[in-house]
Formats: sequence, structure tokens, C-alpha cells
Amino acid sequence: MSGVYPSVPLFFIVIVGVLTLAMLSRGEAPVWRVATPLALGVLVLAIWQLVCVGYGVPAVLLPPPGAIATAIGRHLPTLGADFQQTVLRAVLPGWAIGCVAGLLTAIAIDCSPFLRRGILPLGSLVSAMPIVGIAPIMVMWFGFDWQSKAAVVVAMTFFPMLVNATAGLESTGAMERDLMRSYAAGYWLTLLKLRLPAALPFIFNALKLNSTLALIGAIVAEFFGTPIVGMGFRISTEVARMNLDVVWAEITLAAVVGSASFAALALVERTVTFWHPSFRK
Amino acid sequence: MKRLLLAAAILAGLAVQAKAADPLTLQLKWVAQAQFAGYYVAQAKGFYKDANLDVTIKPGGPDINPSQVIAGGGADVVVDWLPSALAAREKGVPLVNIAQMFQRSGLELTCRKDSGVKTPADFKGKTLGVWFAGNEYPFLSWMSRLKLKITGGPEGVTVLKQGFNVDPLLQKQAACISTMTYNEYWQLIEAGMKADQLVVFKYEDQGVATLEDGLFAVQSKLADPAFVDRLARFVKATAKGWQYAIDHQEDAVKIVLENDTAGAQTAAHQKRMLSEIAKLIAGGKHGIGYLDPEAFDRTVNVLLSGESDPVISKRPEGAWTHAVWEKMGG
Repeated sequence: MSGVYPSVPLFFIVIVGVLTLAMLSRGEAPVWRVATPLALGVLVLAIWQLVCVGYGVPAVLLPPPGAIATAIGRHLPTLGADFQQTVLRAVLPGWAIGCVAGLLTAIAIDCSPFLRRGILPLGSLVSAMPIVGIAPIMVMWFGFDWQSKAAVVVAMTFFPMLVNATAGLESTGAMERDLMRSYAAGYWLTLLKLRLPAALPFIFNALKLNSTLALIGAIVAEFFGTPIVGMGFRISTEVARMNLDVVWAEITLAAVVGSASFAALALVERTVTFWHPSFRK
Repeated sequence: MKRLLLAAAILAGLAVQAKAADPLTLQLKWVAQAQFAGYYVAQAKGFYKDANLDVTIKPGGPDINPSQVIAGGGADVVVDWLPSALAAREKGVPLVNIAQMFQRSGLELTCRKDSGVKTPADFKGKTLGVWFAGNEYPFLSWMSRLKLKITGGPEGVTVLKQGFNVDPLLQKQAACISTMTYNEYWQLIEAGMKADQLVVFKYEDQGVATLEDGLFAVQSKLADPAFVDRLARFVKATAKGWQYAIDHQEDAVKIVLENDTAGAQTAAHQKRMLSEIAKLIAGGKHGIGYLDPEAFDRTVNVLLSGESDPVISKRPEGAWTHAVWEKMGG
């Protein structure tokens, strides 16, 4: 594969692509704001395809986007089953339990200084444990199925939510708390009407962070003993079988799920915490 | 005159020693244990050095697939099982078997008697533990032959991706797990289970055995006669190492333990492993290292017999060679 192809078309595509991007990014209207990242994505995919096919890169090392798209099409039922096992059965329950537990613990810490001194250091210890150590232990405690993966996700998401919620609960100013006191609001009313809404930006921060951690945690936990379905299982076995196009299909699925959940949470955050300065234009 | 002769002799001696030994990197299939005693013995006893070889032995581990290592250029010759190598060959990694060390298979499925499994017909509806990363092919062929779906349900079997330990059986998370005759079965015994609590199905007895530990190299490199010569010297020294290990098992176990950098192995476990491995190596037609073409064909037939999900889709061509065996004068 030497000579004119693929170097000349590649050079041409890069030049045209960069010029197009420069032009698109000048536009102010929303349609140009969407078009620019789309165009960049298309450019990257085109370069990738041309380099892999043109320079004869072995598919065992890096499959071209065309092969990955074919793999996605061919394995759609498998991808669906893996999505159900990992995301619906392990990530969602684990994320929900971990975040709720973190929030409740943060409120408990706020109530009691004894708990604050006791639990925060333990929480940081739990979060420092590496997944590769927790996962086999959870498999032994909870079995091979989704329960052990959800348990790993709980261990991973608990501490970020705890820290963020604690910081959020302490974020109200003295003026606002005095105002509530002058209205004869007790501890719980102040918590409900002032301090929790004020903590919402922090809580959403933790929710978004945890959505990423939960996906990573569930996938990695599946490397350590799992029934033969799930995104982590599929990645580890297909790598060993050298079906790299299926591996990349799973990676694409994970990326789509991660981005979609982050975007969904950002949308909810925007609706609920519209008053926050970060949303002002 | 005498001084001149003495000086000439010394120079000649130095010249011989100064010639560097040929380097060769070997990737093992698993961690340093008696399963690879022959290679470690050949290194420790100087058999490789006598053959003018400088051999680097790389131990394997969980999720290290030797076929992938050699595909990435990380080794010159690897120890791998034939099904994994043939599957890699179909994926575009041109591996060729240059020598076959183990003549019999040590793979077996060990079940708890209290799970109700007495014969393979009882597998229906049960949970079975299977290794992946290249070790699942014999199991998939067997299940295909028994017409059992591996997707679970009462008419099929539920398969667990087993880690490299025996906990699923001890914890009753699986009715049966994959074990080797020389390793995991004895881990169960050492963990406290009694032999009469276990039911063992050897792949050899079920007619689904495939060839295990063999030596593989990349096809393009075999076109170089100097490399073939290097491999021939390597296999000859390795066969000598294996024979020594089988004849002097205590000494061999000591050598293996010296190479166990993780310190995870015990002498008792390695002694038992080596005595079981000796049973797998024996029985070759022409000596240690000879690949019997009939045994190769038997393995290929087992792999092709999976109806719904065959491990390989067509009969492999040129996947083994006797060139190295003939070069070493075997």
C-alpha cells in the first residue's frame, strides 16, 4: 500500500476537514454549534477508516470504523443482552443505592458530630479500596450474578456522594440560616426548605460523577467472575478470542450509555437548579 | 615456542566463549509451576546453555493468552493449547505447532456429588464453571455434542466464567467446575473436600479431549533455516529437561520453587502436580516432543463438531510441522 493511495486522499481530507471546522465554528446560531462537533466526529472517523484500510493496519490491533459498525449490526441482540445485564441490573440499582446511602449518611453526619468524626475517615477508607480487590470478595459474598456487581458499584459511589452532600449541606451562608431562625424554623424545616435545595448543585455533581464511576465499576467487576453475559464479560472474552471489532462495539455502547446518562442528569439538574448562577447566560 | 602455543590456546578459548549464545524468548501458559518443570530444569541444569541458547522464560498468568503475546511480538515460541492456537490461526495469527509436549489431556469437570450430578446427562439445568481466555473451546465442543445450550434455562446449562480458583464449588455457587488433573482437583482436596464427595468427568474419557501444552511459533519465522535450527536445539534441550524432571522429581520441584517469584506455591502441591504431569507426557510414540498427526486430527474433529457454534469453521492447513522434530534428529 504505497504510492498515491492512501497518503494523497488522506492529506486532502485533513485539509478540507480542518477548513470546514474553522468555518463552522465561526457561526453563532445553535445549528452551527451542533454542526461543529458532528463534523469533527465525522472527520475523525474518516481519517481512522482511511488509515486502517489504506495502510493495512491488522484488524487484531485496530479495526476500522466500518468493521465496528458491522459488528454492532451483527451483534445487536448480544449488545442488548449485555446492556440489560450490566446497566439495567448492576449499574442502576448499585448507583441508586450508593447515592441514597451517601446522602442519608451525609444528613446523619450533619445531625451528629460524633458520626462526623467516626464515619468520614471510614468512608475515605472504603473509597480507597481498589476495585480489583473488592470485586472478587463481593463475588464470594453475593455470588456470581448482578448482585455482586451492584455491591461493587455501591462501594464505589458511596463516598463521592457523601463528600459532596456534606459540602453541600455546609454551603449555606450564615445570613440565610439566621433568616430561617428568625422565622422560627426548626432543624428539620431548615434542612428541608433551605439547606437541601442549596446542596442540590453539589448533589447533582456527585450524581453525574457517580454515573461514570458506576459504569466503570460494573464493567471491571465483571472481569472477576460472572455469568456469561454482560459488558465486562464480553470485552474480556472477545479480547482473548481476538474479536476486536466486538470489543470496540461494546466500548461504543459503554460510551453512548455514559454520555446519555450524563446528559440526562445535566438536563434534570438544569430544570431543578435553574436558580444557580452557573446557568445564567 | 611453548609460550606462543599457550597464548594461541588461551586466545582460541576466549574466542569460543566470546561467541554469544542465540537468544530465545519462551512465553509460558500459566505461572511458574510444575506444569512447566521441563523448561525450568533445562535452564537450571544448563541444557539450554550447552545447546548454545540464551533462553528467557516468561511466566504467564490470568488473562495472558500466549497466542496474543506472540502475535504482538512478545515471544519467539509459546506454550499453548492446540484449540486456542487453531482459533488464533483462523483469526489471522499464523501459529504453527513445532512440538507437542503433553500427549494426553488433563482437563476435567469436577462436580459435587450432593448437587445430584452422576452422569453428563445430569448437567441439564445445572450451573457449570468454565475458564475462558482461550480455555473454553473443549467445553463448548462437549456441550455442543451433548446438545446442551449454554444460555441457561432448564433444558440447557448455566455457565459461569470461572476465575482461577476453586471457590465456586466450595461455596456451592456451581454444581461443577473446570479443573486440571494436576492442579485444581488437588486444590479441592487440600481445601478439605473428600474424594468420595466429588464426581470427576475427564475429557479424555468423554471423547472430547484436545491436545494441550504444545510449542508454537509464527509461520513466517519458520521460513528461516537458522531459526528452525535454533528451535530444534531448544526442543531437544527441553525434551532432555522433561526427561530429567520425570526421572528426578524432587530435584525438579526444587528448581520450580526457586523460579516461583510470587512465593505462592507449596512443595507438596508441586510434587503432586509433577507426578500427574508425568502421566500426561508419557505415552508418546516417538519420544517427548513428537506431535502425532492422528492426535492432531482428533483434536480438529472435536473442535469442528460443535454444530451451532463450532470453535473453528474449517479444517486448518499447515498448522503443524515436523521440520523442527526432524532437524533435532528425533
